[in-house]
Amino acid sequence: MPLFATLIVIVSVALPCPYVGGADKLSGEQIYQKQCVRCHGVDGAGTKEYAEPLVGDRSVAQLSKYIAKTMPEDKPGTCIGDDADTVAAYIHESFYSQAARERNTPPRIDLARLTVRQYRNTVTDLVGSFRTQTKWDEARGLRGEYFNTRNFRNDKRILDRTDDEVRFDFGTASPEKGKIEPHEFAIRWSGSVLAPETGVYDFVVRSDQSVRLWVNDNTKPLVDAYVKSGLDTEFRASILLLAGRAYPLRLEFSKALQGVADKDAKNRPPAPAMISLEWKRPHQATEVIPAQNLSPTNAAESFIVTTAFPPDDRSLGWERGTTISKAWEQSTTDAAFESAAYIATKLPELAGTTDQLPKLKEFARKFTERAFRRPLKPDEIRFFVDRQFETAKDPALAVKRVVLLVLKSPRFLFRELGDGPDPHEVASRLSYELWDSLPDQELLTAAANGKLKTREQITRHAERMLNDLRAKAKLREFTHKWLGIDQVTEISKNTERYPGFTPEVVTDLRTSLDLFVQQIVWSPTSDFRQLLLANETYLNGRLASFYGEDLAFDAPFQKWDLDAENRAGVLTHPFMMAAFSYTTETSPIHRGVFLARRVLGLVLRPPQEAFVPFPADLHPTLTTRERVAMQTKPTNCQTCHSIINPLGFTLEHFDAVGRYRENENSKPVDSLGGYLTRTGDPVNFGNVKELATFLANSNEVHAAFTEQLFHHFVQQPVRAYGPMQRAELLETFTKSQFNIRKLVVETCVVAAMKKRDPNPPK
Amino acid sequence: MPISATRREFIRTLGLSAASVPFVLNLPSLGFANQNSRKQRLVVMFSPNGITPSTFWPTEEGDTFTLKESLKPLEKYQDRTLLLRGISDRIRGDGDGHMRGIGCLLTGIELFPGNIQGGSDTPAGWAKGLSIDQEIKGFLQKDAATRTRFGSLEFGVMVPDRADTWTRMVYAGANKPIAPIDDPYQMFAKLYGGTKDREVYKSVLDDLNEDLKKVGSTVSTEDKRLLDEHTNFVREMEVELRAAKNDIVGHAVPELEPGVKRENDQIPRISKTQIDLMVNSFAADFSRIATLQYTNSVGQAKMRWLGIDEGHHELSHEPDKNEKAQEKLTKINKWFCEQLAYLTKRLAETPEPGGGGSLLDNTLIVWTNELGQGNSHTMDNIPFVLVGNGLDFKMGRSLNYKKLSHNRLLMSLAHGFGHRITSFGNPNHCDAGVLPNMT
Repeated sequence: MPLFATLIVIVSVALPCPYVGGADKLSGEQIYQKQCVRCHGVDGAGTKEYAEPLVGDRSVAQLSKYIAKTMPEDKPGTCIGDDADTVAAYIHESFYSQAARERNTPPRIDLARLTVRQYRNTVTDLVGSFRTQTKWDEARGLRGEYFNTRNFRNDKRILDRTDDEVRFDFGTASPEKGKIEPHEFAIRWSGSVLAPETGVYDFVVRSDQSVRLWVNDNTKPLVDAYVKSGLDTEFRASILLLAGRAYPLRLEFSKALQGVADKDAKNRPPAPAMISLEWKRPHQATEVIPAQNLSPTNAAESFIVTTAFPPDDRSLGWERGTTISKAWEQSTTDAAFESAAYIATKLPELAGTTDQLPKLKEFARKFTERAFRRPLKPDEIRFFVDRQFETAKDPALAVKRVVLLVLKSPRFLFRELGDGPDPHEVASRLSYELWDSLPDQELLTAAANGKLKTREQITRHAERMLNDLRAKAKLREFTHKWLGIDQVTEISKNTERYPGFTPEVVTDLRTSLDLFVQQIVWSPTSDFRQLLLANETYLNGRLASFYGEDLAFDAPFQKWDLDAENRAGVLTHPFMMAAFSYTTETSPIHRGVFLARRVLGLVLRPPQEAFVPFPADLHPTLTTRERVAMQTKPTNCQTCHSIINPLGFTLEHFDAVGRYRENENSKPVDSLGGYLTRTGDPVNFGNVKELATFLANSNEVHAAFTEQLFHHFVQQPVRAYGPMQRAELLETFTKSQFNIRKLVVETCVVAAMKKRDPNPPK
Repeated sequence: MPISATRREFIRTLGLSAASVPFVLNLPSLGFANQNSRKQRLVVMFSPNGITPSTFWPTEEGDTFTLKESLKPLEKYQDRTLLLRGISDRIRGDGDGHMRGIGCLLTGIELFPGNIQGGSDTPAGWAKGLSIDQEIKGFLQKDAATRTRFGSLEFGVMVPDRADTWTRMVYAGANKPIAPIDDPYQMFAKLYGGTKDREVYKSVLDDLNEDLKKVGSTVSTEDKRLLDEHTNFVREMEVELRAAKNDIVGHAVPELEPGVKRENDQIPRISKTQIDLMVNSFAADFSRIATLQYTNSVGQAKMRWLGIDEGHHELSHEPDKNEKAQEKLTKINKWFCEQLAYLTKRLAETPEPGGGGSLLDNTLIVWTNELGQGNSHTMDNIPFVLVGNGLDFKMGRSLNYKKLSHNRLLMSLAHGFGHRITSFGNPNHCDAGVLPNMT
């Protein structure tokens, strides 16, 4: 199963059967009918006497050898040589090989366990459902309370305001002259921080004063530099955060000697003081936490399972929970213990008690019901709740047993156990599609009240859910996948050729690309075509300085005209250009492969062998285009490179860091390119703008986007939803003027409503 | 770091295979090649605010001496006791006496300049180096023959819930103080949590299997494949779980009395529970190094169970001529000595597993303090009361050294383990080598 995607390609190439012989020779099928069908049955399905189906993983050659030696069983040696080869090829291609089986049996909606991401999100939301959640509203930045004393006494609070970010160098001055003494003062910043992606974050506080930082734990500081000792001014600690969630954050800063009160402070000249609050997102450079990821409202704490899990199968391009290993089994057990321990310590908050039996039972019942995503039947309440309280020697232990039993139950660990969709399964499918997590109370209530039946009802919920941070994070992640940059973790360039192209610039470029994409996705029209056509670039001060634009160095991100007349949306975004380049030179091949695979949805085979690109310095007179053309000239390269190169060449006006250029090696850049459409129409492009216009209006591009989006959100093969599913979604996409958000909603609604056939079609 | 050294990392460093990780994890001694030679142990016990010299130090020197009031509880173990008078903490630099007193006590090195202002002197930060217990721990953990599950355990009794120079004695390195665990339940979870988990998991296995069977009967043949795999793994783990024996811990898991709270008046209860846990963990060979920190330097325990309502620190500032106060201080130190005696007794009556004799035969306890005397804040005559035969020192004596640097004692402790360091902490105080006349 895992090789599914590649197999389709091979099959489509291999269909014409080359083994049909001449007039005097029997075809493979004829030989099979004559000598094999008696035992093996029609299409190798087996017969009464010999029920075993004729399937396996031998190659044609191996199969032929085996037949020649042993078949037919009653007369071995009568099917040899060409005959054996011919019939082996027929058997292999028709029903024996895995590829043939895949072709004969279309994929179904598989039973799936929770993926790792879903597991973590589900446990977080399960525990979180017992807490009051706050909304991520419009306000950005952090609440800043300023105190005219070294501690945080409310009666000495002088200022209460919102600061966009925490980056202050007070020098020896007061933060508020006349109201706060410059000798001793304290500031508390509080609110929440939004994690855009899942991973380990480093939080960094830089300060020469006493500081403490709490993240997602209001009692135990993540960074504790209350004691300043020695010359260190940088304090960091890391924490695992899940994407699309806001976590409570508090930073306390005190400019003063701590310990015994310092009565002489005012008699000495004030010391300098500074502070900044930074983070290092997974695989990115350290940066001041930007206002867009901060909120002055306190979020509730989230429980995050930190148990390590084995990674999920991604062989089809999306995460699937269709395999189980012992390591996974162990992780789910460890994680159940981790969760039980956390719940035990937080019982007063989550259940409102640690020892009152009725309240604890009620908590256990709700916990079970929410974990299973459907109402419990009376016998299930007896089994999962009552029985545990009867057996355990104290109620706290009973809660622990319930948590373990529930988190190890297939009802929790597996999705789609029924053949649905009943309203609760619709709720569950929708929430896993959009959030990778369990349904919220609104969905459950709708399901319980029979208000999750019609397409309109379900659509309304999907639209509501799409505005949730978790859905936004999932959609954002999809855009990264579509752009082929989800696995790009580091970009570095030749420092002599591109001085100043630092990790910080790379991180800013990624932000710039995100801002561009997100602004289009979340605009009223959410027009997919604009991703390819819009020509503005987001720059901040640091990027402007690198690209030679005139902007203050500490300027925040803003829309900017960076060679707008030559830019074409994501296609020419400097991050993309840099990601699909070598350290010194561009790579028309990487760029072409991106355009072919991701944008046009073509399946390209990997090259027969690994190649090292011709080094530029060995061919100083050639342009990159000329070198690539020379290296990929051989006929067997041209099968794919006749597609790849003419696409990639259109981007040659953009160098390895995405700057526009007219010349390369003092030769004018040649950006002519072309493409032969699937319908056989040749198209030529003078430059990337023409390419972008073609792509924006290409049916192939829309179809590729639709299919990839389906797989990202639904995590099942689209073909399992009927032969027309792709075409129908594409039509909806087209009719909506290529509205991305509408496509997400439509995809999720269609998949949530689809009836699942529990048995594979014969 | 919240995502820090975990059970999994522990296993990884042991090189156990992933398959054995599950339940072995919480079961310490397994696979250790450390049961052959003599198991030497060190306990450092700390109490704050100095002592009253007149009721503490014996008049005599040598092997015939009479224990005074503060040390009376040790009478039964006098022949296994070594009193070291005349040892000075010579470390100077930033920080007030109490800060340096606790911060340099086991590290033998100065504090960094910093922002913590004491009642006098210049402000300071953390110590510039690791403490001797951690140095010896590192030495023992390097060698498979002496390695234990935890290496060291840091116990506390009513240590204030704030991390500053006055509350930290143990350092893993420069600027790396280690917080003692003063909640017995937290310590219990650290020591035995995994074993307890295992029991709970066993208790739900029957129900889990029943649930799996029920669900399995409702799904289609094709869906059942994945579910069956899941079921099989649950079974496999069950078999391994049932095969693993509880006795790997070496003794029955102790039952903690419920309701011990972190409150001043419960200090005696906390103290006893912590000592019991420490002795258990030695018997199980979880660790060979332990520290036991009562409150903190400048500690303000109010020993109302002795009829003393004043805080310990404020009493300790009273002058020598205030006899009432000195009486109370003597009572306080006698109470600490009773804790030491209880620990000694428990070690003496617990047989050394796998060897002859008792745990006390292989354990050295060092009871110490951040000051010599509270009202003068002197760092001369820091009390060092050594009990037990763990390091082959010649016990049953009262010595008076005349102002030898305490770094030399720290080195002696290391040498007692065969870890022959030539200096520890500030090298300026180490030139003369280990303390003379110890063995």
